[in-house]
Amino acid sequence: MIRRTFFTALTLAAAVGLAQAAVAPSAKAGATLDRVMQSKTLKVATDPAYPPQSAQKPDGSFEGFDIDVATEIAKRLGAKVEFVTPAWDVITAGHWGSRWDLSVGSMTPTKQRAEVLDFPAVYYYTPASFFVHKDAKYTKVEELDGKKIGVCAACTYEDYLRGTLKIDAAGVPPFKFLVKPGEIRTYDTDLNVMDDLRLGDGVRLDAGLSALPTVQGAIKSGYPLKVLGDPVFYEPLAVAADKGDAEFDAKLKSVIAEMHKDGTLSELSKKWYGVDLTSAGG
Amino acid sequence: MLDLLFDGWERPEVRRPFLFVLFFVLLFWLDLHEGALGDGLLDALGLGHAGLEPLARALPAALVSGFLILDFWLISFLPLLWQIAVVWAELLGGFVLFVYAFNLDIPYIVVRLPIMIGTGAVTTIYVSAASIFFASIIALFGALARLSKSGPAFAIATFYISFFRGTPLLLQIFLIYLGLPQFGINLEAVPAGILALSLCYGAYMAEIFRAGIQGVPHGQSEASTALGLSRSLTLRKVVLPQAMKLIVPPTGNQFIAMLKDSSLVSVMGVLELMYLARTQGRAGFRYFEMLITAAVIYWIISFCFEMIQARIERHYGKADRR
Repeated sequence: MIRRTFFTALTLAAAVGLAQAAVAPSAKAGATLDRVMQSKTLKVATDPAYPPQSAQKPDGSFEGFDIDVATEIAKRLGAKVEFVTPAWDVITAGHWGSRWDLSVGSMTPTKQRAEVLDFPAVYYYTPASFFVHKDAKYTKVEELDGKKIGVCAACTYEDYLRGTLKIDAAGVPPFKFLVKPGEIRTYDTDLNVMDDLRLGDGVRLDAGLSALPTVQGAIKSGYPLKVLGDPVFYEPLAVAADKGDAEFDAKLKSVIAEMHKDGTLSELSKKWYGVDLTSAGG
Repeated sequence: MLDLLFDGWERPEVRRPFLFVLFFVLLFWLDLHEGALGDGLLDALGLGHAGLEPLARALPAALVSGFLILDFWLISFLPLLWQIAVVWAELLGGFVLFVYAFNLDIPYIVVRLPIMIGTGAVTTIYVSAASIFFASIIALFGALARLSKSGPAFAIATFYISFFRGTPLLLQIFLIYLGLPQFGINLEAVPAGILALSLCYGAYMAEIFRAGIQGVPHGQSEASTALGLSRSLTLRKVVLPQAMKLIVPPTGNQFIAMLKDSSLVSVMGVLELMYLARTQGRAGFRYFEMLITAAVIYWIISFCFEMIQARIERHYGKADRR
C-alpha cells in the first residue's frame, strides 16, 4: 500500500514536471523591464573578487566602480539596487531566469558571450598590461617571447596570449599580438597569477597579463610586482542582460548614454581608478 | 630483516638513536638552518648566519632532533591521558608556529571575524545540517528500495545511486540551479544547494545504510518474525537500532566531508565560509589571512561534531558494553 502511494506520487511529480516543461516560459519582450518597474528593485549580479571594480567590505556590503555604476543605473530607473553574487561562470552562462536582471561586471562583449547574453551598452574601457616581478630585468613586452606567462582561464587575456582575441565593438583602437609565450599557464583568477609571481622572478612564472587597474591595486597592497611597458590593448566593458528583452536593453542603452554624457561615469572612473577610462585609449 | 627491525624498535637504546638520525637527516635536508626557526636558534646561541662552518650549519637540525627525542622520552613517564593532551598541545603549537611564519595581518582578520562567523560559519552549518538531515531520509529509502524485491524500486534506487555517485557534485549543483529553470522550476540558491547536497550525499549514504542493515545478522529478523512482529515493526524495533551502530561512524565521516563540500554551493552566490574567505581576502589582497581563518573555523566545527558523534556512538553501542 505504502509503495503504491509512493509510486503514484512519483508519477504525478514526473507528469507535472513534463507539463511545465511543455509550457516553459521563454524570455518575453519587456518581461525584465516590467519586473524591475513593478518591484522597484534592480537585481544586479556582481563578482566581488576584483577590487577596485567590485569587492566585499568587512560588514558584507559591496564597494567599487561597478557597484557605484550599478547603483546609479538603478537610481535612474527609479529602482532600488540589490546585489547577488553568483560565480562568474554562472553569470556568463546566461539563462538567468528571473534570478537577477543585470550584470554590471566589467564584462567584455565577446562574440561567444553575445550568443547567450545581450550587451546593451559599453560603459568604460580597461587597459590590459603585462606585469613582471619587481626584480625582473625586462624593459619591454617583446622580451617576454618564449616565457612562462600566467593568465586567468577563459578570459580575454588568455585569448590575447593565444592570439585569438577578437573585439569588434565601436571605438576600440586596433591592437597587435606582441608576445609569443613559451608556455601559457591558466588560473582561476588573476589574483592567483599574482600570488604565483610574487614568489620570485621565474620561480613559477615569468610574467602575467591582466587589467591595469587590478595590477596597480595589487602593487598598492604590497605585491612585489611592476607593470611592463604600455597597455597592449583596450577592452570595452559592457553591462549585460539576459537575452531577449529589447525594451529593457533600449532603456539601459539610453541610461548609460546619459551617464556618459553628463560626466557621471568619468567622475566615478576618477574616483576608483584615478584616471578617466570611459573612452578607449584614454 | 623485518623481524630485526621490529625487535630493534622494541628496544629504546636502538629506537632512540635511529629516530634521532632520521629526524636529523630530514631536518637538515629541509634546510632547517636557513629557515626562521634555524635563524632564531643560531641567534640564541650567539652564532651569526654568514659564512657558517658546516658543523654550525648542522647544529639547528641536531638540536631540534635531540629536543624531539628528549620530549618523547619525558612524555613516556606521563599517564596515557596526559600523553595525549601534551602531544596534542605540542602539535597545535607547531601549527601555530607554521601559521605565524606567514607574517599574518591580525587586525585584518579581527575586523572580518564577525562576518566570517556570523554569516559564513552559520550558513555552512545550516546548509550542511539541513542537507545531512534530508540525505539521511533519502538514504534510508534508497537503502530499503535497494534491498526490496520490487523490480522498479530496485531499478530506481540503483539508477539514482549510480548517477549521483558517478557525477561530480559541482555538475549536479549546476544542473539543479541552471537546468531546472528551463522547466520553469526556479529554486533559490540555498534550497538548490541543499537539494544538490542531499541528493549527492543521500546516494553515498544509501550504500552505508544498506551495509548497516545487511550487517545485522539475518537470524535477528527471522526471530522477530517467529515472535509474530510485523515487517515494519521488525525493521523499526529490531533491525534499524542494531544497524545504527554500524551506520553512525561512516555517517559522521560524511557529515564532516559535507561541511567542506558545502563550499561548492558558493558558485550560486551563497555567502558561506569558503566564499567569504575568498572575497574578504581578495578585497585587500590578503588571501592567506582569510584562508587560514576559514581553515581554523572549519576545524573547530568538525571538532565539535566529532564530540557529538562520539556521544551518539556511545548511545548506540550500549549493547556492546560490559
